[in-house]
Amino acid sequence: MAGRNRRIHESTRMSTIQDFSGYAPTWCPGCGDWGIGIAIKTALVQMGLDPSSVMVIFGIGCSGNMNDFLNAYAIHSLHGRALPNAIGAKLANHKMPVVAVVGDGDCYGEGGNHFIHACRGNHDITVIVHDNGVYGLTTGQVAPTSQKGFKSKSTPSGIIETPINPLTLALTQGATYVAQTFAGNVNHVVEMIKEGIKHKGFSLINVLQPCVTFNKINTYKYYLQHSYKLPDEYKKDNLEEAMRKGNEMTTAEKFPLGILYQSHRQAFSDELPQLAQAALTEKQRFVNFENLYSDFL
Amino acid sequence: MKFTWKIGGEAGFGILTSGLVFSKIANRLGYYTFDYIEYPSLIRGGHNALEVVVSDEEAHALKKDIDFLVCLNEDTYKHHKHRLTSQSHVLYDPDEFVLQEENFIKISVPFKKFLSDLKGLPVMKNTIAMGATLAILGSDLLLISEILEKQFIRKGQEVVDFNKKFAQLGYDHVKQNFPQQIIKDLTKKESEQKLVMSGNDAFCFGSIIADCRVYCAYPMTPSSTVLTTMAAWQEKTGIIVRHAEDEISVINTALGSSFAGVRSAVGTSGGGFALMVESISFAGIAEMPIVIFLAQRAGPATGMPTWTEQGDLLFAVHAGHGEFPKIVLAPGDIEEMVNLTARAFNLADIYQTPVIVMSDMFLSESHKSMAKKFIEELSTTFKIERGKTVNVPTEQKYLRYRVSGDGISERLIPGAKGHFYQVNSYEHVEDGHTTEDAQARRQQVEKRNRKWETYLAKDFEAPKIFGDMNSAEIVFVSWGSTKGPILEAQKMLASQRKNTAYIHFTHLYPMDKGVVVPLFPSGKRYVLVENNSHGQFGKLLLMETGIEIKEKLLKYDGRPFWPEEIVEYTNQHV
Repeated sequence: MAGRNRRIHESTRMSTIQDFSGYAPTWCPGCGDWGIGIAIKTALVQMGLDPSSVMVIFGIGCSGNMNDFLNAYAIHSLHGRALPNAIGAKLANHKMPVVAVVGDGDCYGEGGNHFIHACRGNHDITVIVHDNGVYGLTTGQVAPTSQKGFKSKSTPSGIIETPINPLTLALTQGATYVAQTFAGNVNHVVEMIKEGIKHKGFSLINVLQPCVTFNKINTYKYYLQHSYKLPDEYKKDNLEEAMRKGNEMTTAEKFPLGILYQSHRQAFSDELPQLAQAALTEKQRFVNFENLYSDFL
Repeated sequence: MKFTWKIGGEAGFGILTSGLVFSKIANRLGYYTFDYIEYPSLIRGGHNALEVVVSDEEAHALKKDIDFLVCLNEDTYKHHKHRLTSQSHVLYDPDEFVLQEENFIKISVPFKKFLSDLKGLPVMKNTIAMGATLAILGSDLLLISEILEKQFIRKGQEVVDFNKKFAQLGYDHVKQNFPQQIIKDLTKKESEQKLVMSGNDAFCFGSIIADCRVYCAYPMTPSSTVLTTMAAWQEKTGIIVRHAEDEISVINTALGSSFAGVRSAVGTSGGGFALMVESISFAGIAEMPIVIFLAQRAGPATGMPTWTEQGDLLFAVHAGHGEFPKIVLAPGDIEEMVNLTARAFNLADIYQTPVIVMSDMFLSESHKSMAKKFIEELSTTFKIERGKTVNVPTEQKYLRYRVSGDGISERLIPGAKGHFYQVNSYEHVEDGHTTEDAQARRQQVEKRNRKWETYLAKDFEAPKIFGDMNSAEIVFVSWGSTKGPILEAQKMLASQRKNTAYIHFTHLYPMDKGVVVPLFPSGKRYVLVENNSHGQFGKLLLMETGIEIKEKLLKYDGRPFWPEEIVEYTNQHV
């Protein structure tokens, strides 16, 4: 099937980190976003992509501000709306890789409904979530991923709700690639992103990311203590095991790192016969109107 | 010759389908039709009715007197008897209910008995009724047989023949028992080939003609049949249809595909449109083309989902936070719908901004005859104009938001080698990067605003005038689906020797004051006609041109105008 072959840019030279670098980032010193930013560029370079061969959709937040720091065909979208933009871009040109760079409030809060349905649809997009458990850009309100009791400007007595579990949510809604990584380990983030972009179908990479300014609980030290790498013998095609591991984040404050789950189901765009031959952007204009009249006679 | 045929019965028993079948038969026999459906927001248990105006010349609107009323239940008679005259034929089943009144022509048809004799399904009452109708109108069963053939052949010849039997029963019953009541109003005559099309169908045709490649929607009456028709056309046309999780996702999916380079549209009604508004603003600043089909229904909130209103005009005009250019178009009938829809895609690409095409339940769901050659011509002659959309930039350093005299910048389709850019929901500098700089802000605001000036100079179309403005004493002013009733009212008034004109707006917003003001000479009686209670177009006209129309005929009960009530109003309020 023609649609299955992802077209990687064939340039005469490999692209470099510099090619992907836009403005100098404005993130706080020590912010986990720095690690994620360099990891995304590194992953794209290592995959042989260049800024002309990838579409990136940014949400709104400190994560979305990467729009100015990363060169690509890009949309700096509205808060919460990056995923439907990414789905639409993929439908129009399914031969280009589509990456969404979003935050936890962005993707699991404002855009929660879109997230669920993007998982179900197995749309072939790679969603990189900066999960720092707090709203940084609006100066420190609670996020959907904040731990119960988290005190913030919008929850001075501590949040009553329990945190959303992005991994088990994605698993139960049909995502076919669910990974978690830690911004403090750039090499691991790079690996997870590359595997996610290579994966044909919906891929979630939840990146645990300390917010050094507004989250004094989920620090680098916290994640070093509470996260662990999935062992080499871990079988990533077992949904029940993935659910068990993922659920430990909620029940035991244990954060697995690695590819929690990967399965192979046809991506949305691969199920569309309209895209079997060519991308929508490449097709000829429809002219055979005689075929449409019979229902109106 | 002009008559109204109306059929009614319990919801869920095929009333609407048989109404459309009747329209198609009338068209194939050489007549023109206009139809209108009434149905509650229910699947079962309510009352459904459909009426068809049949004429030997083009029909634009309804006619109040019912000439043939087919009652598949007693409710049909009760709901519509006030529209009967002494000449009306009423088809009913005496086993279903008793008709005491004598002031019309009664045609009894034993629907129930025929069904039980042959063990037919309740829905087959419609087929009996169709046979009886064709007998009364002096036609034959040739076309209904063809239609039943097409409809049921997949289920086998036996099923086809079984259905045909019921048409025959109804037909023979009338021929044998009521030969003196037969009126030969539907005998075959020569006429051009016509399509029977609703406003929603016309939007679909306009979109495909304009090479729309992605349509995204969430079902909402009365826009839903655009979604289902487009979905059914996917295989034939190659369009991709996404029924997304909500209207926010709908418009953002379409903006994503628009960004990636293909023409994209969404469709909804007021409530869904409300959810899209944030992203209309997004399309405005990011300068992404999008066509939005807004089929209004009676609001606010859930309102009356299956009834008509023009209550969202000012909402559409003002939709979106912040200031950005936007174009609002409103067709008045299906021909204008096809034309303006196709044009909307060109305007969206040329001006790289949202274009809203407004409809309402009356236009969206009513079927009208359209000359087949009209659409054949348009589909072969329509020119796709993508403005400054390019696959390769014309300048060395590509700037997505390059400041330009006409306000329009080159839009590069993503994928061109050696280039990249971002579209941005934040204010931005020329290359797309975010900015809060005062001068850059002014430049981009002014650049976007200039697109409106360019549009007014190049693409704004003045309202159409029907009738002779010089001799007219009365001038109707309106927009959208009121066009049909006003045109019919004009004919009726002309027969009473009253000279009228009608100023029909299709390019609603923005408006060119210099073009519009001279169309309103003083000394005339201007009447604003709108299907809403606020007189929203009147307010828009005042806002855009300074013209104020004091006299208003407004209707806001969820029903479209009768031409008769426009005539009555005009004559009473002198």
